[in-house]
Amino acid sequence: MTLTFRTVPVLLLLSAFVIGGAFFAGCTTTTPQPQGTPTPTPSAEKTKVLLATTTSLYDTGLLDYLEPIFEEKYNVDLLITSQGTGKAIEVATRGDCDILAVHSPSQEKAFLDGGHGINHRCFAYNYFIIVGPANDPAGIKGMKPEDAFKTLMTMGKDNPAGVSFVSRGDNSGTHSAEKTIWKAAGYNYTTDVQKSGNWYIEAGRGMGETLQLASEKQAYTLTDEGTYLAYKGNLALVPVIEEGDILLNVYSVITVYTPTQPAGKIAMANNFSNFLTSLEIQAAIGEFGKEKYGKNLFSPMSENCSRFNCDCTSPAVIVSPSSLS
Amino acid sequence: MNEIIDGFVQAGELILSLDPEVLEITARSLLISLTATVIASLIAIPIGGFIHFREFGGKRGLITIIQTLYALPTVIAGLFVFLILSRVGPFGFLGLLFTPTGMIIGQTVLIIPLMVGMTLIALSGVKKSLQDEVISLGATSSQAILTIVKESRFAILGGVILGFGRAISEVGAAMIIGGNIRGYTRVLTTAIALETSMGNIAFSIALGMILLAIAMVVTIALFLVQEQ
Amino acid sequence: MIEFLHVDKSFGEKEVLKDLSFRVEKGEIFTFIGPSGTGKTTILRLINLLENPTSGSILIDRQATKVSERERVDLRRRMSVVFQKPAAFRGSVYENVSLGLKFRGTAPDEIRVRVAEALHLVGLEGYEERIATTLSGGELQRVAIARALVSRPEILLLDEPTANLDPVSTERIENLILSLNERFGTTIVLSTHDMVQGQRLATRIGVILNKRLGQVGDALEIFYKPESREIARMVGVENVFDGTVTSNDGGLASIDISGITISAICASPPGSQVTAYIRPEELLLRVGKEGMSSARNEIEGTISRVTPIGPNVRVKVDAGIPLIAVITRRSCEDLALFAGARVSVSFKASAIHVGMPRVISSE
Repeated sequence: MTLTFRTVPVLLLLSAFVIGGAFFAGCTTTTPQPQGTPTPTPSAEKTKVLLATTTSLYDTGLLDYLEPIFEEKYNVDLLITSQGTGKAIEVATRGDCDILAVHSPSQEKAFLDGGHGINHRCFAYNYFIIVGPANDPAGIKGMKPEDAFKTLMTMGKDNPAGVSFVSRGDNSGTHSAEKTIWKAAGYNYTTDVQKSGNWYIEAGRGMGETLQLASEKQAYTLTDEGTYLAYKGNLALVPVIEEGDILLNVYSVITVYTPTQPAGKIAMANNFSNFLTSLEIQAAIGEFGKEKYGKNLFSPMSENCSRFNCDCTSPAVIVSPSSLS
Repeated sequence: MNEIIDGFVQAGELILSLDPEVLEITARSLLISLTATVIASLIAIPIGGFIHFREFGGKRGLITIIQTLYALPTVIAGLFVFLILSRVGPFGFLGLLFTPTGMIIGQTVLIIPLMVGMTLIALSGVKKSLQDEVISLGATSSQAILTIVKESRFAILGGVILGFGRAISEVGAAMIIGGNIRGYTRVLTTAIALETSMGNIAFSIALGMILLAIAMVVTIALFLVQEQ
Repeated sequence: MIEFLHVDKSFGEKEVLKDLSFRVEKGEIFTFIGPSGTGKTTILRLINLLENPTSGSILIDRQATKVSERERVDLRRRMSVVFQKPAAFRGSVYENVSLGLKFRGTAPDEIRVRVAEALHLVGLEGYEERIATTLSGGELQRVAIARALVSRPEILLLDEPTANLDPVSTERIENLILSLNERFGTTIVLSTHDMVQGQRLATRIGVILNKRLGQVGDALEIFYKPESREIARMVGVENVFDGTVTSNDGGLASIDISGITISAICASPPGSQVTAYIRPEELLLRVGKEGMSSARNEIEGTISRVTPIGPNVRVKVDAGIPLIAVITRRSCEDLALFAGARVSVSFKASAIHVGMPRVISSE
């Protein structure tokens, strides 16, 4: 006969019994639970706000530096998840985070137009730079970025072993800036660039990993200045092109909006915007990295952003897209 | 070479000095993966019992599907749970994406097939004659199931340990669902991925050594259990 | 106590038992004998409600058994089984033996007393803490019996209970079976392929042949009055002859078997086709003319083969019809028998069982 199955509770009980052992097996070797860790541990009474950001802001350490200051000021628990700009915007579009801090003006505009965000504020900038091997095999040093890309394309196609370019290839802000340059240079990105041959390498990784890949392959790549400075020590790459309007890299912060987003979280996200654009924090951003890298990684807007065509002064007060009108 | 040696030396220092961040990440990894293992056991062992003790159409096919899912890629489990837990997903209202709870759900989903399969193997390892003995000794259905599961407890526990090993060593689901938030959802595997990309080799090696140590303890535990 | 009504049992396409009807009375020791693999085990499993009949019905204590699983558990708790190859659970002998009582919710103090008592009955005092899976086959068999007895069953089902045991243990278990039956009135159903054991233990014997229940009767009936050639062969009745009744004088009949006439007690009228069965132990052998036999039948013949079987000797005599006698080794030596020697074979008319020629259909 077959056992008839009637008793789920019994089996539940049993599993508890069986895993009792598993717990034992696992726990005998665990390191002791840390007491009083310095990192913020989530506590019940504090509000949590989740910031989705780009790897270049996070990997440089800027946000880790600002986090405790913000948390103390507003008695809040700031959680930061760092992804490429594309992924961060996707997370924000789905309403899975409260604040977005990215650097891709065109993607930001589409995000805002979709009604997913409010209070767009720019808070820092630096420049993208083109880095490459010290001997500059393509001989592009000093060129305009658009011309440099044309040269890289020509030489890379002829001699992929000698000249190659590593792209983020991950829809991040940096990737988006790269595409802008290709467009300005007169190429269609998907047809002329992506399929142009072995010389064009799509990493699909964060900025740090892409730099490391370029370094290993002795290839050129486009990077934000901050991440490059933070990683410089481990890289066999030097800046090749550092000038050109098209290389401007503006970081912005946006309060994520969904119709179900709690008002408290929107208010806290606005606090974060105002925090970033406050003169005190602007000054701190301007100092960040100087000690370690000998140069600031980001330039603050310091209430002077008219030339970037963005807003860096108005307090973030709006709580929904409709309150604009 | 020097980089590697230096990395190991610094890693040793980080571990021996009980670096708070290293400890915290380790503790979180264990907590999340152990919880996932417990929950997965509570679900997988009864399901395994149900499939084993009950005859129904498509049983063979179901078992094949479960066996296929042993190798469920972690990123697919991660993506699946991400879509479900996202605010616009069916369980978005729970607000579990980018939380440790979300990670527990992801790892639970990931290891349930493996643990159901191991439970099935464990139960079919119990001789048919023993099942007859149990029934003829006057057991009710639940007493019989209880006795037989108890009889195969070491084999089932082996499956549980295997599930824990898979949970604590996976990175895909933890990264996608947890978001690698420092002090909140950063676990050993996601921290290793991040620290490596940031060039903090020593920290990565320290975490890697801890992960390896946990894997080793799991393997030894599995061995000891199977000796029974 | 146990009643089968036209029970058929098939496993898939394979038919194992066909049209089984019998009754086991309360307090009786009922033994199924038959060659290995003839469904004896299946009968015990059907009684224990481990299997369901394909058709027909089974009554336990006049209760129908096609009832809810819960009621079947209650019925099952009135019986115990010792399987031919008992399986041991992980853990100690104590845990193994106490299991049935735990299922029944017996109080722990009571369990302790009853386990000790059961282990005493099978001669395994002090084995409580031994690990069951490390025991020898014989020890395990006794643990299984203790495990069955501990719940004081009304019905005890034993499948080849001594198949794995040495002669000393076998005797001990047989005595235990008899005393349980006597002291507690336990109804016992056992299966064995050992005819002699069947004879020693059974109140009644049922012969299983070709998926069917053949003859049912006490040991005397089965061993001396088999109903068919097949049963005769099984129970060791080696002399079976078909013949014709030529005359019948008030119950003393003359039967012609291939030209040889024997006298036998039977009621069949002249002209009847009959089968004569004679146990080999009933044949007496004499050499020459010394001594006189009071037996009615005496046939001369030549020994064709002498085969020792344990303390006895099997002597095959060609006397027009092939006769087989079993005599003690001592008699054989006294008579100085050898192949080729002339002997006279005698047997009483009352030692012959005469039946209608019947062959159990193999269907």
